[in-house]
Amino acid sequence: MTQFGERYTRRLFTDHEIECCGENPVTAAPGLAARFAAKEAVLKILDSTSRVPPWKSIEIQRESRGAPKIVLRFEAADLAHEQGIENISLSLSHGGGIASAVVVAQVAELDSESPS
Amino acid sequence: MSDVNTTIRSVLETQGRLPVPALSLKDDDDLYENGLSSHASVNVMLALEDAFDIEFPDSLLRKGTFESVATIRGALETLGVSAAAN
Repeated sequence: MTQFGERYTRRLFTDHEIECCGENPVTAAPGLAARFAAKEAVLKILDSTSRVPPWKSIEIQRESRGAPKIVLRFEAADLAHEQGIENISLSLSHGGGIASAVVVAQVAELDSESPS
Repeated sequence: MSDVNTTIRSVLETQGRLPVPALSLKDDDDLYENGLSSHASVNVMLALEDAFDIEFPDSLLRKGTFESVATIRGALETLGVSAAAN
């Protein structure tokens, strides 16, 4: 962010994500770093080795009560659907120069027994 | 006058934060397996934009674009960067 400034944030983050973290790059950096960690974690969950969705197709939104949630669009949404992912829970943390994200996906239970 | 591959490797050397010299990598070596982080790949992309005076469209803003020197060169070619550019 120091080197490329707004060019960096605009390429990785949606307008909503940038708005949530604020305009000041110094105070916005920890929140954006945590959101980047969340996007990266979602990419790993989607196991997208052959089809890798764009960064902005994974958006971290802030709900009215303040909790973060993940919204998938386009290719990311398609991959999640194909893998039976029904819900993704997210926790963000940042402080002391470190940002992290924990992402847990709930997968639909496969119906292994066909009705007789 | 340097060719595209040389410029790509130069950008990888300065922005990729690789634990190995970029010049030692083969065109098809997996950059992520050689230590390129997702975060660094974004810096590589922006530095390539500056080096070639181009802009990567959203459709190319994905990890796969920066998987190897060859995939980067392929992406640059779709943006009109020719083999002898720069």
